[in-house]
Amino acid sequence: MGVKIVKREGKTLKERSYIFALFTGLRVTLRHFLKNLKDTSNIKTISYPEELPKDITPRYRGVHRLTKRDDGSVRCVACFMCATACPADCIFIVAQEREDGVDEKMPKKFSIDLLECIFCGACVEACPCDAIRMDTGIFTFIAQKREDFVIHKDALLKNKAMKGSK
Amino acid sequence: MATISVDGKEIQVRENALLIEELLSNDINIPHFCYHPALGKDGNCRMCMVEIEGKKRPQIACDTPVKDGMIIRTKGKNIENVKRSILELELINHPIDCPICDQAGECALQNYYMDVGLYSSKLKTPKTRGKKHVDLGSNVMLDQERCILCTRCIRFTKNITKTDELGVVSRSDHSVISTFAGHPLSNPYAMNVVDLCPVGALTSKDFRFHKRVWFLKSDNAICNRCAKGCAIFVDHHKAKYEQDDIFRYRPRFNALVNGYFICDAGRLSYKDENENRKSLPSIRGNDCEYEYAMLKILRLLKHNQSKAAFIISASLSLEEIVLIKKLANKYNATLDAYDHNYNEQFGDDFLRKSDLASNRNGLKALHVSCDETLMNEHIAQADLLLFVGYSDLSSFDCTHKTVLGLSQNIPKKKDDFAVFLPFKTHTSKAGSYINADWYLQFSQAEIAYANETKNLIELCCFYKEIASMDVEQIWQNELQAYFPHVNFQQLRKNSIKIESL
Repeated sequence: MGVKIVKREGKTLKERSYIFALFTGLRVTLRHFLKNLKDTSNIKTISYPEELPKDITPRYRGVHRLTKRDDGSVRCVACFMCATACPADCIFIVAQEREDGVDEKMPKKFSIDLLECIFCGACVEACPCDAIRMDTGIFTFIAQKREDFVIHKDALLKNKAMKGSK
Repeated sequence: MATISVDGKEIQVRENALLIEELLSNDINIPHFCYHPALGKDGNCRMCMVEIEGKKRPQIACDTPVKDGMIIRTKGKNIENVKRSILELELINHPIDCPICDQAGECALQNYYMDVGLYSSKLKTPKTRGKKHVDLGSNVMLDQERCILCTRCIRFTKNITKTDELGVVSRSDHSVISTFAGHPLSNPYAMNVVDLCPVGALTSKDFRFHKRVWFLKSDNAICNRCAKGCAIFVDHHKAKYEQDDIFRYRPRFNALVNGYFICDAGRLSYKDENENRKSLPSIRGNDCEYEYAMLKILRLLKHNQSKAAFIISASLSLEEIVLIKKLANKYNATLDAYDHNYNEQFGDDFLRKSDLASNRNGLKALHVSCDETLMNEHIAQADLLLFVGYSDLSSFDCTHKTVLGLSQNIPKKKDDFAVFLPFKTHTSKAGSYINADWYLQFSQAEIAYANETKNLIELCCFYKEIASMDVEQIWQNELQAYFPHVNFQQLRKNSIKIESL
């Protein structure tokens, strides 16, 4: 096996000290460092959870909510379109005859397993009644047990749309 | 025979038969609402229009007799326009509430709209409203708005059950299907109108809102409610984290046995099936492990060689009976099959039979004794009684005997049995049955079980201490000798008439 001798570039003291090359490489970092040192309000990093993100827009797909009709009754008619469209198979519906007389059919149970949900928004797309939305802006969901991550009809109905959503 | 040309393709058909029958039997898609093979033509929906060369206007295929040399077009711009216009008329007052309609997914209106419709509504005036849930009786719910007045249900009560409960009342846009005041729909076959209804106007109260139809899987089976053995579809679905439950039975066409219909009692017997799937093994009335009960029975059988009596019900399949016969030989036990599962009120002259056991003729064909006095003698002489397929022992004298039970039903009284072991229910095991009219039939459905319950064939093989066999092997090794002319592969597809005994 032959040995290939590589010629070393840079013979001058400036090149061999690496100091200047180092600062060239750190130029952008240093520029931000000095700028932020003077004015801390522009720093992108936030100290979560004391500080909350400000870039959650109404389009953000957060935890779901079930919408209501003008008269306050549940809008969902338990047609199973969301459950059919769901790629994670995490929506569990039990239908029943309507009790409030507004329509014919309503969900007796409507549960979403948030641990299985992939927050793709297919359920919102599929809904023919605009009954399910993901515009709550809730991006964290905390619970102690696995079972608590399954949210049921009452909780879904209580979720409110975030400010600024239609 | 006549030769006609359909969309440029020549086909051989029967002369003077109805055009729609011949087209449908040649797999040519003709949209239709009012025509049904069991009810014949009515010609009111106008949906089955075809172009016939030489005729000025499009004609309805359901009321046109076939003539030799006819040239017919079922596709093309002209005929599609005609169909679209008719569909538009059908849908004028239709509420289009598919999301809450149980028919969605198996609805003729939906399918034809996707085939030839796809127009935007020109209607400016409000739709005529009707009542959304009218209870017609016999588990049938009517939605007047969805009805397209094909009158299939009316013709069913008029021609098939001859009970005439239904009719059309009011005129024009306000026409609705109705019963006569004080005379609800009440006949033992009433729920067939739900299957007949091509749209979601008639829905079953029993199935309503329980499951969307696109989730359901259909398996072929034979109804075991009575000795007729009607062909059915078993619609079941295993939802996530749930067990595989049956949601409904639907009639499956079998010209030899039941035609297009089944009775309501048979249709609703899926509930017992679901209930029986929860059956658990028990020893002296206490629940126990499956394997433990299985081995306990094996020990008792071995211990009581030549002192055992087997009593089997008349609802077991041929495969099971033939294996139990061999099992009885191995343990030198007597084998009887006196089964008093009759209800004289149940039978009628259409489909229902008074004999409620599904395979009584099978016992005769396999030469199993059905004599009551002989059975009582055998019971009196034996120490150990093994009941197979029974859940109620009130009519047997079992005092001072060890009573073992293998059954697909939940026992009436668990204390009756020293050891009780459930086996898989009718729709969870494949098997052959001989019906009341001596048709040999095969039930294919094998719906998965949630618990470790085995089927009776597996249990018999276990007690015979041989490797488990499948249904086809049993046919080859055991049953072929009893039915030399029957081909098993043919039996899987069709009912086969055999010689009565």
